[in-house]
Amino acid sequence: MSVIVLDKDAAVSHLQRRPRVSLERGAIILVTALWVLGALMPILALFVISVLRAKGLSFDFSLTLQAYRDVLVDFRLEIILRTLRVVAVVTLIEFLLGYPFAIWLAKGIRSGLAKSIILVLLVVPFFLSPAARTIVWRSILGNDGLINNLLLSVGLVDTPVSWLLFSEFAVHLGLIGPYFPSMVWPIFISVSLIDDELIKASRDLGATGLQTLWYVVTPLAVPGIVAGFLFTAIPMLGDNVASTLLGGGRVALIAESFDDLIRAMNFTGAAALGAILVVAVIATALIIRWVLVHLDRNNGHRLKVMSS
Amino acid sequence: MEGTPAICAESARSPILQLGGVWHSYGAVTVLHNISLHVERGEFLTLLGPSGSGKSTLLRIIAGLENPQKVAMMLLDGMDITWAPANERNVSTVFQHFALFPHMSVGENVEYSLKLRRIPAPERRRRAESMLSLVRLTGKYDRRIYQLSGGERQRVALARSLVMGPDILLLDEPLGALDERLRLDMQRELIELRRATGVTFILVTHSQEEAVSMSDRIALMRAGTIEQLGSPNDLFSRPQTEFAARFMGFENVMHGILRAKRGDLAEVDVGGATLLGRMVSKSAAMNPGDRVFAAIRAEHVEVDCQRTGNSVTAVRGDPIYKGRYYDIPFSTQLGTLIARFGELPVNLACKTNITFSPERCVVGVLGPEGIH
Repeated sequence: MSVIVLDKDAAVSHLQRRPRVSLERGAIILVTALWVLGALMPILALFVISVLRAKGLSFDFSLTLQAYRDVLVDFRLEIILRTLRVVAVVTLIEFLLGYPFAIWLAKGIRSGLAKSIILVLLVVPFFLSPAARTIVWRSILGNDGLINNLLLSVGLVDTPVSWLLFSEFAVHLGLIGPYFPSMVWPIFISVSLIDDELIKASRDLGATGLQTLWYVVTPLAVPGIVAGFLFTAIPMLGDNVASTLLGGGRVALIAESFDDLIRAMNFTGAAALGAILVVAVIATALIIRWVLVHLDRNNGHRLKVMSS
Repeated sequence: MEGTPAICAESARSPILQLGGVWHSYGAVTVLHNISLHVERGEFLTLLGPSGSGKSTLLRIIAGLENPQKVAMMLLDGMDITWAPANERNVSTVFQHFALFPHMSVGENVEYSLKLRRIPAPERRRRAESMLSLVRLTGKYDRRIYQLSGGERQRVALARSLVMGPDILLLDEPLGALDERLRLDMQRELIELRRATGVTFILVTHSQEEAVSMSDRIALMRAGTIEQLGSPNDLFSRPQTEFAARFMGFENVMHGILRAKRGDLAEVDVGGATLLGRMVSKSAAMNPGDRVFAAIRAEHVEVDCQRTGNSVTAVRGDPIYKGRYYDIPFSTQLGTLIARFGELPVNLACKTNITFSPERCVVGVLGPEGIH
């Protein structure tokens, strides 16, 4: 008899516990599992492979830093530093162009239709292949391209300007277009979320447009700005289209190194380079966050919310 | 200092704000028709009206947050501010939802206008603290906005606007976002704050009760025009038009024809019955034969056997319980009249006589829109 009673108790407590495993909880577990499998595991694998010894197409399971030594040779250090510099400069340019544009898009346009059209126009180029989009610059920047023809016919120069194409300048230019929307989107969203009344209140209290931008709009847009920098800079680190098509072999970026290493079947080397990049990205993100938190302690709580 | 008293006396006479011929429209809809308004120094003026009457637009135009389409005159303290942007006008707005900066502390919010004027930090802090104590928020300087209750946010918004020493404080339905109890407290606080600071207040509201209890003067607005401008008592007991009478809470409004004028009183024919009422429109403007309205408040309608004043036989309807009182509708020759009772009268016959004093009944000419 007592066994039956115990069973009954167990059944009751089971019923009571049931609602705790809700749909929401299930979804969280599922998403976390997918994230671990799809994002975390490959990155961990990257770190593991980078410290293994290559043995033909397979690995010898003994720990070594040989891959790092192979990868971190002088010319590759130069490539890494150049990549970081190009990415930093282009990201900054994107911000200087994208921030005013995002503010105008979010607060300057009253017509909803015009806003939608511009947002669509911002995305449309992405239906084109990145290579096709980028190679167009050749016919504009080349020695008998649009710009040089114009300069020659006006008489500003006697010989074509050669640094326009196959140069760092061309790579910078080629990177600006594709990454403009990834800077604009998050900033546009966070500026859109700022209540118009706050901007009016600032003006009402005596602020000029620039003062309102500095004291009200920018602090409230910080989450979007940080997201814009990350969304722009991180994918740009892996871009190989602009440097391949517009660098002319003179402006090698890190993405090309990956191609080279994988083509040479140096998988541990590629993994080591990837690991270095991942660490660099995480370090940069942490530095940005640290700087922001300490620059404006008032925004600390919001940034923490965002990063958690 | 010797010269200042004369200047003060001079400026004390001139209105703080003079508006003339203000027109504004959104697309095809004209929201302000030729508004002219003078606001006296230190007065509490209320722009009262239903939604869509243009009262908030007028307030935003005074603040400079919106530019009128046409304006003949706009003087603030004697200076032309017609094309001055909002940040160059010494007026400040308390927004309906307060519009406090969420990324700043209470103190930083209050100091904002002083910071823009490059006032040094210690001086800023001193003035912010004294303003916070004026709105009874002493010690809340370092609080975050999200930690405050609705009433406290309201007071931060007031302090933020008042700290810059504005010529006029503009309040855009500031009590609308508060609950009933808080609203009554804030009404009293606003009156005290005005007294303590001496600043001119212009308040926008759709609540006649708020307007009557707080203002020195009320501008009743309707469809972009000022329907009636006067003291709360003027509007409350002498509404000039049918719209004003209805908006100021006259429950019983009848239409009729003016038969004769007897001094201040008018004899009005309503549906065959005759009633006496006090003329609120200028006597000269009213002539026998004119279509007029007659209005009487429910609390001034009495059940009375003595036939004094206006008296009419009535059939009682079902009482409606309103908490503090009962409203009883009566069908009469004049139409349905509502009478108000503190307690349900006992032994009230089904058929009875109701009376109201001619002094309490206002009679005025019907505008073109009242004639159907």
